[in-house]
Amino acid sequence: MSEASKNNLVIEARGLVKRFGQEILAVDGVDLAIEANTIYALLGPNGAGKTTPIIMLTTLLEPTEGSAKVAGFDVVMQANDVRKTIGVTFQETTLDKELTGRQALNYHARLYGMSKDQRQAKITELLVLVELEDAADRAISTYSGGMKRRLELIRGLMTDPNVLFLDEPTLGLDPQSRARIGDYIVELKVNRGMSVLLTTHYMDEAEQLSDKVAIIDHGKILIEGRPSELVDQMGADVITIAGQGNRDDFIEKVNDLSCCETITTGNGIIQIGVDSGSRRLVEIISLANERGFTVEDISVAKPSLGDVFLKYTGRQFRD
Amino acid sequence: MSAAVTLWSKHMVKSIHNQMEMTGMLIQPILWVVLFGVGMGSLLGPSMPGGEDIYITFMLPGIIALTASGGAIAGGSTWLNERLQGIVKEYLAAPIPRLSILMGNALSTVSKGLIQSLIILIVGIIVGANITSNPLGWMGGLVLVAGFTLGFAGIALSMASSTDNMGAYHSMIMLLNLPLLFLSNALYPLETMPTWMRIGALINPTTYVVTGLRYMLLENGAEFAKVDTIPLWLCFVAITIFTALGMWLASSAFKKSLK
Repeated sequence: MSEASKNNLVIEARGLVKRFGQEILAVDGVDLAIEANTIYALLGPNGAGKTTPIIMLTTLLEPTEGSAKVAGFDVVMQANDVRKTIGVTFQETTLDKELTGRQALNYHARLYGMSKDQRQAKITELLVLVELEDAADRAISTYSGGMKRRLELIRGLMTDPNVLFLDEPTLGLDPQSRARIGDYIVELKVNRGMSVLLTTHYMDEAEQLSDKVAIIDHGKILIEGRPSELVDQMGADVITIAGQGNRDDFIEKVNDLSCCETITTGNGIIQIGVDSGSRRLVEIISLANERGFTVEDISVAKPSLGDVFLKYTGRQFRD
Repeated sequence: MSAAVTLWSKHMVKSIHNQMEMTGMLIQPILWVVLFGVGMGSLLGPSMPGGEDIYITFMLPGIIALTASGGAIAGGSTWLNERLQGIVKEYLAAPIPRLSILMGNALSTVSKGLIQSLIILIVGIIVGANITSNPLGWMGGLVLVAGFTLGFAGIALSMASSTDNMGAYHSMIMLLNLPLLFLSNALYPLETMPTWMRIGALINPTTYVVTGLRYMLLENGAEFAKVDTIPLWLCFVAITIFTALGMWLASSAFKKSLK
C-alpha cells in the first residue's frame, strides 16, 4: 500500500511552483491535499493560475519546484502510471473536429490499450449517459459547444479513471448545458466513486458541486474549505453600501464595531459581514452619517461564495 | 509501437475521408509527370539521344523526390495543426511513449509518400518512361523513398515543433525546399552544372535519393546514374544518414517544445 492510499489522499502537492522563463510565475507554491471520492474546485479569476496546476498534475509539464502525487504516483518520476489512472478535460477543446464523435472516443481508448470489445461497450454506455447517441456518427465540426463539451467529458471517462481533472468544464455554455454537466459530475462521484478536481470561475457551480473549494489568485491558494464554511465566516448577512464622502474614516469605525465580522472594499463598494443584517442596518447608516459618509445605496443579503471570492481576490478587472 | 500505429491509422482514416486532400494527393503527381515531364521532354528530348522518352525517364526519380518532400511538408503542417488545435494535449496525457506521437505522424507521411510514388511510376510507364520490371528494383526504390521522406519529414516536424505560426512554418520550409530540389541532379545532370552548384548538389540528400532511384527503378538505370559518378552504395549510406539526422532533429525539437 502506498502512503497516499493509506491516508486516503488522491492528490497531494507540496510547494508546487511553475515558472515560464524569467518573467512569469504562474504557480507560486501550491499545496493540495485532496481526499478520495470528493469533488474539489479551484476557484479563481482569469489568469489566477488555475490551469497550470492541472497541467502539472496531469503530467503535461514538469513543475519548476515542488512535488506532487496523483493516486499515489509521483507526477514526474511515475508519469506514465499517473496517466493510466486519470481522465482529463482541458479548458480549450482538444477534439479533432474532422473525426466523428464515435471515432474520437475509439481512438482515445486505443491509445490506452483497451480491447475492441471493451471500447465498443464503453462507447455505447457513455454516449447514452450524455445523450449523444444520435450525433455519434456525425463529424465533430457539426457539434454545438455544449455537445463538444459533453463529448470531451465522456472521452475522459472512457478508461474508467480514478481521478478526473476538469479544467473549466462549463466555460461558455448555456445554463441548461451547465446544469447537465454539473449533474454528470456529481453522478460520477456518487455512483462511480471518482475523485474530481475541477477549476471554474462560476461561483454557483463551485458552491453546488464541490465538497471543498480553494480560492486561488496570483498562483497562490488564499483560502480553502467547505463552501458552507467559507460562506459562514463572512457573517450571517452581508450589507453592501455604495456612497461618497469620508470613506476611510467610516470604514475604520465600522471595523471597530463588535457586530462586524468582515469588511471588503473596492471600486466604491463596501461590503460588511455582520451577525444580523436587519438589526445592524440602522446602526451602520447612523455611523455613516456621523462620519460624513453619504450612503447612496444600501442592501442586505445572505452572503454567497461570490462574496468570499471578492473578499479574497478583490474587485479589479482581470485578464 | 501500438500507439504509433493507432495515430498512423487515425491520420490515414482522416485523409481518406478528406476528399480535397485525397484529390490533391492523387492528382498532383500525375500533373507533374504529364505537364512537366512531357512538356520538358518535348523541349529537351530532340536534343538528347533517344528522343523525348529519355527525358521523362531521366526526370521521373526527381518527381518522386519532389512529391516525397511535398508530402513531408504536409506532414509537418498536420503536426503543427494538431499542436495549435490542442489535439497534441490528448496524446500527451495518454500513457504512451512521447516519441510514438512523432512516429505516428512520420509513419502516415511515409505511407502517403509511398502511395504517391507508386502512382508516379505507373503514370510514368503510361507516358513512356522506361521503368524496370524487376521487383527488387521497385523494392529498393521504395526503401530509398521511405528513407528520404522520413528524413525530410524529420526536418519538417522539427520546424513545426519550433513555431506557433502556420505562415512562418511554410515560408521557412519553402526556403529549404527550393534548393533541395533545384540544387540537385533531379532535373539536370551534375556534369552540366557550374562547380559551385555541383558542390551544393553533392551535399544535398536529394541528389542521392534521385541517383539511387535511377539505379534501382530505371531500365538501364546504371547508364543514367553513372553520368553523375555516384555509386549505388553511397546513395543508401547517404539516405540512411539523412533519415537518422531528420529523426534526431524532430525528436530534439519535440522534446524542447514539451518544456
